[in-house]
Amino acid sequence: MNEEKKRAFFLLSPPAFYMLLFFIMPIGIMTSYVFREGAFGDARYIFTLDHFKDFFTTSSYHRLLFRSIFQAFVTALFSVILAYPLAYFLAFKAGRHKVIFMTLLLIPAWTAWLLRILAWKILLDSTGLLNLFLLSSGFISETAPYLLYSGTAVVITLVYIYVPFAALPLFSALESVDQNMIEASKDLGAGTLKTFFQITLPVSVPGVAAAFFFVFIPTLGEWVTPTLVGGAQGIMFGNLIQEQFVKTLNWPLGALMSLILLVLIIPVLFFFNRISGISEYAPV
Amino acid sequence: MEKKEKRNNLRILHYAFLLMGILLSAGCSGEDATSSAERLIVYDWSMADLPDFHSKFLEKYPNTPPKIVYLAEDVEAYGKIKAGFAFDIVHPCTQFFQLYVENGLILPLDTSRIERWNDLEPSFADMGNINGKQYVMPYDWGYESIVVRTDKVKEIPDSWEDLWDPQYKGHVSLIDAADPAQVFTSLILGFDPWNTTSEQDEEIQAKLSELKDNIFTYWTDFNEIQQLIASGDSWISANVWPETYAMLNNKGLPVKYITPKEGMIGWMCGYAISSKTKNLDMAYDYLNALLDPTSHAAYGNMGAGVSSKAALSLMDQEQVKLMNLDQLDLQNRTVFYKSWTEEQRKKFTERWNQFKAAP
Repeated sequence: MNEEKKRAFFLLSPPAFYMLLFFIMPIGIMTSYVFREGAFGDARYIFTLDHFKDFFTTSSYHRLLFRSIFQAFVTALFSVILAYPLAYFLAFKAGRHKVIFMTLLLIPAWTAWLLRILAWKILLDSTGLLNLFLLSSGFISETAPYLLYSGTAVVITLVYIYVPFAALPLFSALESVDQNMIEASKDLGAGTLKTFFQITLPVSVPGVAAAFFFVFIPTLGEWVTPTLVGGAQGIMFGNLIQEQFVKTLNWPLGALMSLILLVLIIPVLFFFNRISGISEYAPV
Repeated sequence: MEKKEKRNNLRILHYAFLLMGILLSAGCSGEDATSSAERLIVYDWSMADLPDFHSKFLEKYPNTPPKIVYLAEDVEAYGKIKAGFAFDIVHPCTQFFQLYVENGLILPLDTSRIERWNDLEPSFADMGNINGKQYVMPYDWGYESIVVRTDKVKEIPDSWEDLWDPQYKGHVSLIDAADPAQVFTSLILGFDPWNTTSEQDEEIQAKLSELKDNIFTYWTDFNEIQQLIASGDSWISANVWPETYAMLNNKGLPVKYITPKEGMIGWMCGYAISSKTKNLDMAYDYLNALLDPTSHAAYGNMGAGVSSKAALSLMDQEQVKLMNLDQLDLQNRTVFYKSWTEEQRKKFTERWNQFKAAP
């Protein structure tokens, strides 16, 4: 082993070991459960494919899966759209106040996640601020939990939570835009808009993709937010997985559902990696 | 200059990610306990941990108080114990009694070692008798019914079937559990919830699916349902416990706890000893301490019925009246949850999952 290889080995082995122990092995264990009849006692040692049959013949499960993908897509899209101007401002306009603005952006994230979700619930419920405002301004005559208990409520809440997260990879990508290129574009007579669409935006695409997946992937497996604000119509696939493990005690079916999510995400991730080269720009 | 600024930005970014990572990972912790020969491990509901509830035990074992491990849901405790969690005493409810016994997780009790056994209501003691043996010492019980916001509805519902009434569309909330909906739907259709044919099962499922439109949310705990009713989001709420009603009523909210004509639903929980306990004598001492009428009444005053007459007479009588805990005829008309078989548990929970996943 030469010096460089040795150094790489020492640098990489702790994270590689960590990943092996806490990521690859658990996924292996989970995969083994998919083929077990049950999670306890002798049922653990009985091989079966019944869980596949259960999953693929229950249409309500598929519906929830597709709806969750759609919900995650919409959440990620709106998060990126809202985070982009923020990141743009931080990268190009904030100047020496960058640190202050960055801190301001992150302060909401210092509050516990659950508290922020509950705060939305309190704002939107029948006695909440929204109702108070609508009632006093005469738009409504009877209070109701508008916007709450729906898929929309889940998207609104998650977008609110994820915008600061999405802004970080975007900021990182915009930071790497070569100022000389922008100046050259302007020198050659392009306006601000044209420069943005032909230089800044294309160069920041990897950041956009990174931000999108930063939101899309955790949202796809969400279950806390839908539980709290989604109501009967807003529950997601993650809720179903959680129920299989905690309430139904059908760990094999829960494991299968989790793997299906994983299998759906990986090819999309590879595809986006190919076209945008996220890995080159990933900020961490 | 520019380079320095860039490096600075990178540092800010790394700091930001580090911060977020810490925030995201916060809140994930677990507790594990192993059975020891000295300290009794009691696997109990989080509200059951006050020293007052087992003061006689603490008098006898001042240096080795019980180690109380909290359970949040019955099924969680059952799953954890099946997966090998070591404990001495557990506090399950009727639905799970049979499953604990079938899986060999609990011991038959020697009732002669429980001094105040004869104080217990025989009807409750019977519920803890599985396959002819007494496995569970009955302890607490209560009703489940519908709470109505009287200011929001034109007439007060009097049946479980009123949950389906189209005029309440989007204003009904249900407890997020598999069995309550199963039981009240069976009652409306006139079936025995624990003994249905496959045709009846299909009828139940079809009837239940019609309820979906009316429900705006599922709730999971005491605080959540209180908030939902108090805010006015939930007009009709099932299956709510009387203490929730008592709390809202005391706050002056216009609420009513109804007695559906099909009967209220009742729950009952009790204490059992692990079949793997190494502290059998201590375990019986603990059961005896729980049944001490003063301790038992203190437990009941937190909002539950008690299984012993001696403890009932020591409870806050105003609360007993408000929650109808002394109404024997009402109790007799109440449909108490029965033990599930493993097959029924699977059937009920799978149905509930499909119901929730459906549009």
